[in-house]
Amino acid sequence: MVTGMRVVIAEDSVLLREGLSRLLADGGIETVAAVGDGPSLVEAVRVHNPDLAVVDVRMPPSHTDEGLRAALEIRSARPGFPILVLSQYVEERYATDLLGAGAQAVGYLLKERVAEVAEFLDAVRRVARGGAVIDPDVVVQLLGRRRHSHDRLTARETEVMGLMAEGRSNSAIAARLVVSEGAVEKHISSIFLKLALDPAPDDHRRVLAVLAHLGHRQ
Amino acid sequence: MVTTRRRLRDRVPFGPWGPLGVAVDPVTWKAVPYFIVAPVVGTACFVGLGFALPLSMVLVLVWVGLPMLAVLILIWRGVAVVERRFLRWTLGVDIPDPYKTRPEGGLYAHLRWLFADLATWKDLGYLLLLCPLGLLEFVVVFGLWSLGLELLGLPLPMVLNGRDMTFWFIEVSTVPSAVVVMLFGVVALFASLYALRGAALAHAWVARALLGTDDRRFLLARNEDLRASRARGVNAAEAERRRIERDLHDGAQQRLLSVALDLGRAQAKFDDDPEQARILVESAAAGAKAAIGELRDLARGIYPAILTDRGLDAALSSLAARAPVRVEVTVEIADRPPAAVESIAYFVVAEALTNMAKYSRATEAQVRVRRAPDRVVVEVGDNGVGGAAVVPGGGLDGLADRAATIDGTLTVDSPPGGPTLIRAELPCVW
Repeated sequence: MVTGMRVVIAEDSVLLREGLSRLLADGGIETVAAVGDGPSLVEAVRVHNPDLAVVDVRMPPSHTDEGLRAALEIRSARPGFPILVLSQYVEERYATDLLGAGAQAVGYLLKERVAEVAEFLDAVRRVARGGAVIDPDVVVQLLGRRRHSHDRLTARETEVMGLMAEGRSNSAIAARLVVSEGAVEKHISSIFLKLALDPAPDDHRRVLAVLAHLGHRQ
Repeated sequence: MVTTRRRLRDRVPFGPWGPLGVAVDPVTWKAVPYFIVAPVVGTACFVGLGFALPLSMVLVLVWVGLPMLAVLILIWRGVAVVERRFLRWTLGVDIPDPYKTRPEGGLYAHLRWLFADLATWKDLGYLLLLCPLGLLEFVVVFGLWSLGLELLGLPLPMVLNGRDMTFWFIEVSTVPSAVVVMLFGVVALFASLYALRGAALAHAWVARALLGTDDRRFLLARNEDLRASRARGVNAAEAERRRIERDLHDGAQQRLLSVALDLGRAQAKFDDDPEQARILVESAAAGAKAAIGELRDLARGIYPAILTDRGLDAALSSLAARAPVRVEVTVEIADRPPAAVESIAYFVVAEALTNMAKYSRATEAQVRVRRAPDRVVVEVGDNGVGGAAVVPGGGLDGLADRAATIDGTLTVDSPPGGPTLIRAELPCVW
């Protein structure tokens, strides 16, 4: 358990703001500020210098993608600052906007994932450590779309890819798919090969593989 | 209007039954009173206007003429209104009154309304034309008619008294010549019927041109109105959908999320901290109940089930029961109007009562729904401080947009200090 981790929450519903900060507290994560709109988030991050920001996409004043825009603003001022975005809807455009600014230390999750307490806390920690966490639903949508234009990956490889995008390790993927770790490794190297990714430190390549998928879209 | 015109034309020349058909067609005989009255009215108008109009125009120089002229205009417009009714009854032409609607404002606005309306001056033209036209039609129609009667009756004295008769230069002394003359009489009578029908058609054409609105301009204006009201309707529907999405997002969705969150946390605590887990489950249960309440309110706001089931009376009573002050509801409608009208009427009352509760400081309110011949009139009044207005994007504005989709109107009468009366007129046929 990472101790002494400090986060800022941006969420306009008081109810959820409270719930989130208690949930994080359960995991030993301190909420140093909880705000309800975009500009206050930017300000809170500047003032408190937290380890991570948990951001709701839709907030006042515009009630559209206020949170996302604030997140991008923060990332452009402080590249690599860890941000976990929570969204009510699966919107691949939100995900690509966010990942477009660099795939390190970002997360994009559906709001309801907060109910899976352990997984959510795990995602928060992974993002804070610089990992990328993308919601399974978003991945499914992105991969589903890509399958038409670009079906070089097999169904199993696509599945592995989806789990990689969620930031899972090889052993976690193996457990999820009920196959051996060796099989997962084989799939992953096949994915790297097909996406023409040069050998590089493993984690980095994993993110690149996901990004290659998202990036090809544009 | 168009169908009337076509029917008249179809029936005039020979009709499906030929001359006999024209003779038995009630349309022919209904036109007779018109051609008797028209020359009388025409002459009266000609004389009256010929005297009063120049007089008041001269007197305008000393101001007395202006009110005189205004009164005169009102009189001749009144005559024109009666003439249109008479034309509809006798000649079967439906000419709607073309006047602009009476303005709210003061004297000047009213004078403008009288003087600047083209219809005023077209009326005048028609009434002045009515004299020569009416006389001409009278002479043609009844001249032919009396000629026919006379020719038909010419041999009668011969038959009765054995005396010869002379009509102009025709001498009727023998039976064959009498028969010929009578035949001419019959022809002249039928000719008079055709003249009558022709005159009716021609007169209707003149009347429509002078007493009616300019069809093309009228249709263009109407077209513009419809386009605008359709746009307003679409906007109102869009705004409504956005509102619903927003309500769902901010309300029930957040509540359910927090329920899920509480349950998630409880799950993680069951083993280590059962007491805390129990508290969390309680909080989740309360949250779920609150979410149900919010969803119920939202569903009612989208479309109240009671309105579908039981109609306006029940739905409005239920609205009134939930209002913070005493609301007296009177629904004087026996049959249920179309669903769209019911729904708009309901939301007018709902919005008006919501506004009242929020801003008016009223202590009581009345809701009255009644039926006029071609519309449903909804009135919501309260004894509050007034000052309600239709502001763009506001609730009342949305209602006005919604009413406009069925050609309805919403008026808000709410002077500062009160009282407030919100009134919707929703045209419908049922």
